[in-house]
Amino acid sequence: MKKKSCRPYLYLAPSIAVIGLIVIFPILYTGYISLTNMNIYHWFHPEFVGLQNYAKAIFVFDSGFLSALLRTVLWTGINMVLQMVVAYIIAVLLNTEGLRAHKFYKTILMFPWAMPGYVSILLWKMGMFNNEYGLLNQWLGKLGLNGVRWLDGNVSAFLSCTMVNLWLALPFMIMIIDGALQSVDKSYYESATLDGAGFFTKLGKITIPLVRPVIAPAVVITIFTTFKQFDIVYLLTQQQGSKTGADIHTVITYTYEKAFVTNNYGYSAAVSVLIFLLLILFSMFTNKELKEGYR
Amino acid sequence: MKKVLASALSVLVMLGALAGCQQDKKAAPSAKPTESGASSAAKKDAVNLTIWYENDQKIGDALQAQLNDLSPDVKVTVQRKDKMTDSLKLVGNDPQSAPDMFFFAHDKTGLYAEMGILAPITDFISKDSLSDFIPMTLSAGTYKDTLYQLPIYFETQMFMYNKKLMSTPPKTTDDLLKFAQSNTKNGTYGFVEQHSTAYYAVSWIHAFGGYIIDKDAKPGLNLQGTVDSLKYHKQFVKYQPSDGDYNTMTALFKEGKAASTINLPNLAVDAKKAGIDVGFAPLPTVNSTGKQLSPYAGIQGVYVLKSSESGKKEAITSVLKALMKPEVGVAMSKITNDAPANNKAYSDASVSSNEIVMNLKNSADTVVPMSNVPAMDVMWSVTENMLSTVNKKGADPTTEAAKAQKNALSQIADMK
Amino acid sequence: MKYRKRIGLFFLNIFFILICLLCLIPVLYALGISLNGHNDLLSSNVSLIPQNVTFDNYRCVLFEKPFFLWFKNSLILSAFTVLISILVAVPGAYALSRKRFRGRKMILNLLILLNAFPAILSMFAVYRILKPLGLINSFTGLILIYIGTMAIFGLWNMKGYFDTIPEEIEEAGEIDGAGDFQLIWKIVLPLARPSIIVTAVMILIYVWNEYIFAVTFITSSGKYTLAAGLYALQATDYTRNWPVFSAASLLVSIPVLVIFFCIQRYMTSGLTAGGVKE
Repeated sequence: MKKKSCRPYLYLAPSIAVIGLIVIFPILYTGYISLTNMNIYHWFHPEFVGLQNYAKAIFVFDSGFLSALLRTVLWTGINMVLQMVVAYIIAVLLNTEGLRAHKFYKTILMFPWAMPGYVSILLWKMGMFNNEYGLLNQWLGKLGLNGVRWLDGNVSAFLSCTMVNLWLALPFMIMIIDGALQSVDKSYYESATLDGAGFFTKLGKITIPLVRPVIAPAVVITIFTTFKQFDIVYLLTQQQGSKTGADIHTVITYTYEKAFVTNNYGYSAAVSVLIFLLLILFSMFTNKELKEGYR
Repeated sequence: MKKVLASALSVLVMLGALAGCQQDKKAAPSAKPTESGASSAAKKDAVNLTIWYENDQKIGDALQAQLNDLSPDVKVTVQRKDKMTDSLKLVGNDPQSAPDMFFFAHDKTGLYAEMGILAPITDFISKDSLSDFIPMTLSAGTYKDTLYQLPIYFETQMFMYNKKLMSTPPKTTDDLLKFAQSNTKNGTYGFVEQHSTAYYAVSWIHAFGGYIIDKDAKPGLNLQGTVDSLKYHKQFVKYQPSDGDYNTMTALFKEGKAASTINLPNLAVDAKKAGIDVGFAPLPTVNSTGKQLSPYAGIQGVYVLKSSESGKKEAITSVLKALMKPEVGVAMSKITNDAPANNKAYSDASVSSNEIVMNLKNSADTVVPMSNVPAMDVMWSVTENMLSTVNKKGADPTTEAAKAQKNALSQIADMK
Repeated sequence: MKYRKRIGLFFLNIFFILICLLCLIPVLYALGISLNGHNDLLSSNVSLIPQNVTFDNYRCVLFEKPFFLWFKNSLILSAFTVLISILVAVPGAYALSRKRFRGRKMILNLLILLNAFPAILSMFAVYRILKPLGLINSFTGLILIYIGTMAIFGLWNMKGYFDTIPEEIEEAGEIDGAGDFQLIWKIVLPLARPSIIVTAVMILIYVWNEYIFAVTFITSSGKYTLAAGLYALQATDYTRNWPVFSAASLLVSIPVLVIFFCIQRYMTSGLTAGGVKE
């Protein structure tokens, strides 16, 4: 038994090495930068300034930040629930026995994922949501209805962003759940059917409990990604040169506009570190899913 | 045994990684095409210079064509670099990764100068040799009394109209408003512009005596003039598409659904291609102040990086001298329809007969070069937030202006 | 019963056709523009069906731009990244799933929490680390970045799946005298095929679509990937040629879809019903 003790570390070593290099080092480096005055006036020769940047960064957490934080929590919640439910339904249905074309459907459903994100966001913005020429308003016009200014109002912009996020994120979720479904031993279903269980009983009693631990890590990672979502909200409503007037800042877009545009890396790094800590704190209270993954 | 196997496995993994690295090097033998190719082909005393740019490929190709004559003594590679502003921040002081020079608009001059990556071009050429240049283009690239940019051409917004839809262009903004009121219906517009974009709205702000930021990096968003311009200009927004988006506005004009617009020269070129009979007129004058709308001008030109100054001084000087020639401005304006910075270029027939270029040239005295102080970087987004809340959400101009000014001041403070 | 089932399948097919159409609307829109003769993204007469169909935009992308070179670069990068990532992550995930060792929980915890970091400033740090290694403007550098970025996902995702494989199967193997390596190779890998493929596809798509690192760290467009080339195509608002851009973005996504379609038959698990009992 003792002989085994160092093997797990050996197996993990390559992974830890690359993660250390590409993920952990940047975090440590950002922590270091946050203690210096690296800004355009001291770009290549920053000096150590202690916690000065943090004293300044605290002011980022003003009322605007608080409402952005609440909005981000709402955004994460709505998006995750929608994604999970819709992806579950689609993935389960895709696995229906006798559905011959499922490979074809699955491939089509992967399309949104197969394009670089900014390309699809641009397509949505120009092609779908544009007030004058967008498909949505053209269709409304054909029905004799007035066009909607999709991205201008706070509520409609939020919903539009949710729609785009759903569109972009579904393929990944469907794939994860579909993959997890493969792990469910089919014999469970057989015996359940013999016991006279219906579709929903099987879903609730077999599928979901068995699939949940498998997809938990992917879901947790997606929660973080959704929380940190930048591209969709920024490109649809805040892009320089075409701000729509909607204020649906998330935590990241808000701090981007407040801090990152200043080119003051020391200050921005301090803000990043504080958000990092905030998110960790946040996830400690809420992430029950995380614990399930431990088994 | 198990231990051996396990270590064998991880060694395998490492080997795999290494093999991957090696193989992909083999797969991409063109690792450094310019350097290796040049060193073997050119004579031993040839100097290689790299110039980065981020504009359209055609512009880089035209620059390259102008600099090919310098070989074999100096071999210049004009290289397109995406995300150039970010890359320069990363590699600006590293001679191995950074270019020797780069081609860019003048508004980041202060930023890069403060970062300490720019060499003054007066280290290479004398100020007197630039006497033929339009003064405005030289002041644009000057930061804290030092000239960092060799200007090549400039562009600014102009008033253009569809001759079919507008017979006589309005002289004043009140006339323009009246025209917009009576000609905006059923999906066609009398006048369109990117009303909530700082770059476009600033010409109105200037005409009312306001400004976004001055030479001393003091923002002017809450000035009376700025607020007045917001209040007055709001009336125009009613008769325009609400989004004020570049693509929407240009599409409307190109489709003949907008009678007039204020935009950059390349829209005029595109519209002409689309079959629109485009006319040009001076920008209208604001009735209450008697001042003409005065837009920002962007001056495109070449910068030298400090990191490559040593050892390449002569070569860089020869490149700058080559780019000072009027022929360069002529060649560039053929592609971009922008106005050469060198006055001598205008004696060329292809320039003086180009209506668009001459219009730009004539506006050189009224336009205001974009501010080049580092603080300008944060002003864009602050100003646009103000514009879009006033124009798109009907917020009160005075309070929004005050809020924006406060934000601007705090962000400028945050830069330090 | 059979009759009812067939009706059910019929409606299910209708449902999926509708879902697919819904999902494809923006894609069809791009297709419409890319087949259109004019440089108009926005126009009152743009609809899903283009008027004068032309393949000029596709010809332009394929033959006037270094499309095939970028394609080759994308292939090389994604093949190596996927291969090395899997090689690195499988033993790690196996250890996390099967072995109990000190620090395991901490490592698992930490890996998840690392995702919480807003990586906006990471570019600078990554540059700092690649520069002394001489990996700027090289594929090796990019591959390293991509492996590192995707490693956490790979570890966690496969670990979660490994957990579902009954340990009894391995124990049987262990009695036969198989080492860890053999266990992974002969038993775990075939059983965990779906999750390995999911992970591989995820990494592939990430590499395929990644452009920020590619554009920043690669200097010459001859070494661009498709996504980076696509980014370069749309340079600025003012010069963007929408039909060509749309054509290019469709062409970029098709190889991924083809690979995805082909790989699907391996997605079913080797875990057969009652596999444990056998």
